[in-house]
Amino acid sequence: MSVARALLRSLPAWLWLAGAGTAAAGNAPEALPVTEIAPGDFVHYGKPLPLDAPGHDDIANIGFIVGRRCVAVIDTGGSVRVGRALRRAITAHTALPVCYVINTHVHVDHVLGNAAFAAAQVHFVGHALLADALVRSRPFFLANYAADLDAPASAAQIIGPDESVAVGSDRNLDLGERQLTLHAWPKAHTDCDLTVYDVSSGTLWTGDLLFVRRTPTLDGSIIGWLAAIDALAALPHVRHLVAGHGEVTGEPAAAFTPERVYLSTLLQSVRADLAQGKPLQDALKEPSEAGQSHWLLWDSTHPRNVTRAYQELEWE
Amino acid sequence: MGKFSPSTRRTLCNLICLLGAAPSSVVADSQAPPGGAWQSLRPQLYGTRPIGEVGDESMSVSGPASTPDPSATPIVVQFGKELAGKVRQVRVIIDNNPSPLVTTMSLAAGLPVDEIDLRVRIDRFTSVRAIAETDTGRLEMRSIWVNASGGCSAPPAATQGGALGQIRFRPSTDGHAVQISIRHPNNSGFQVNPVSGDFIPPHFIAHIKLSSGGRVLMEADTGISLSENPTLRLVTGEPLPAPLAVEATDLPTQSRFAATWTGAGAAAH
Repeated sequence: MSVARALLRSLPAWLWLAGAGTAAAGNAPEALPVTEIAPGDFVHYGKPLPLDAPGHDDIANIGFIVGRRCVAVIDTGGSVRVGRALRRAITAHTALPVCYVINTHVHVDHVLGNAAFAAAQVHFVGHALLADALVRSRPFFLANYAADLDAPASAAQIIGPDESVAVGSDRNLDLGERQLTLHAWPKAHTDCDLTVYDVSSGTLWTGDLLFVRRTPTLDGSIIGWLAAIDALAALPHVRHLVAGHGEVTGEPAAAFTPERVYLSTLLQSVRADLAQGKPLQDALKEPSEAGQSHWLLWDSTHPRNVTRAYQELEWE
Repeated sequence: MGKFSPSTRRTLCNLICLLGAAPSSVVADSQAPPGGAWQSLRPQLYGTRPIGEVGDESMSVSGPASTPDPSATPIVVQFGKELAGKVRQVRVIIDNNPSPLVTTMSLAAGLPVDEIDLRVRIDRFTSVRAIAETDTGRLEMRSIWVNASGGCSAPPAATQGGALGQIRFRPSTDGHAVQISIRHPNNSGFQVNPVSGDFIPPHFIAHIKLSSGGRVLMEADTGISLSENPTLRLVTGEPLPAPLAVEATDLPTQSRFAATWTGAGAAAH
């Protein structure tokens, strides 16, 4: 029997244990602060911290959308604790039940709170490739982020999607007089990026296809990401934007510009390195012209992006 | 890994990690020696022969003090005037990797190799060492520390793709250097298949031969500490005449991959 199947089989037992643990703990977390950026669209802004700092479980923007019938959660944070705090924020704003948990991609800061929403009536929705990406990532999450799960940490707490959205076929979710359009993207920030558009408020939740101020992290395809940015920035009717990291102020379409400049500069400089036969170690030493003063966590993120872009573009 | 039952192997996998875990007897014998693998590898590979430590001007190893991408860390071995052209074998060892021996590389007699570049997986904080054997049988070693976190268990990058065994040549404009890359997952044997939930069997490039103008420049035995899409770069004191040719073999399927680059700017496939 495979490990993954064993984990799936242990899910009911874990759910029971988690419930018991919560009741016994008796110290429910406080509600996360959220901002209603458009009628019915509530955002919690994550902090610009590195992934190994205290508070690293609260770095992504997460939130929820309230319809007439039920609530959709968009990303759950980097720990079960943050997921529970988000759940409390929801109950502070509405008595309606959560019917969907939508994960915008596989990264730890967006999915580790999923377990806080496990319930029979809740559907977990993601990109068609999210399930595979989670299978690849669970051992890494358990090895490095066990403390962000309920003890004892188990892979079964990292809940994957039971409904999926394929590239090329948008999916509509109805929250009761509120339609959400889910769009799955070809490889970009990761290989499983999903965006959520709330039609009635004109709010686009980009997941990590948009970074504001925090240095974008490349884990998919730099070419694909730039294409996704062009498509997203050209979308009509978008009145509000929720980035994966950082707060959007001002015109939605303009919010993509710094990220586009960064990634296209990176693309050009790595292509030039490759054309000159410059090896990876020399490409890494180059000062970037992409304007590091604009970006947070540059030193720990940019060199990794160079490495990833180099590995993608050397096969062009 | 033959001496392990599947269940033992899976337990081992859980204990260590996914990427870079070794299907080699080194893991079986030593698992995780407190001081790294070098203490047990040294007698296996070199017995009691003395190993010197020359200065930077003769030989050096470099890499990032803290790797930006543990799944693809560039490591550079350089030789100065005293050693270039006199090295017949180079080994690279990553002490704290599950498969510490990255490569054993034999170099053509008299070939003035100035530099060898590798791209490796690094599991955790470790020393990375290179040992050169000269044509007179002298051994010299240099090492560095490289910090990495979570590299071994990091999920594979989403950059996979392309045709298995596709080979890229990237010669420098002055003809003194060439980088070769082989499209290959270099699976460690400890990664999980997302569809079946089973372990993906080990599948890695085990041997690479590089020739120039009909002369074999280098033959390397390699393993799963090389990154996905194994990549080597050689810099020499003399121009490398075309055609450049690569032959590679993987394990356990023993598939052979070969390509020739004849110049004129086009990468051969």
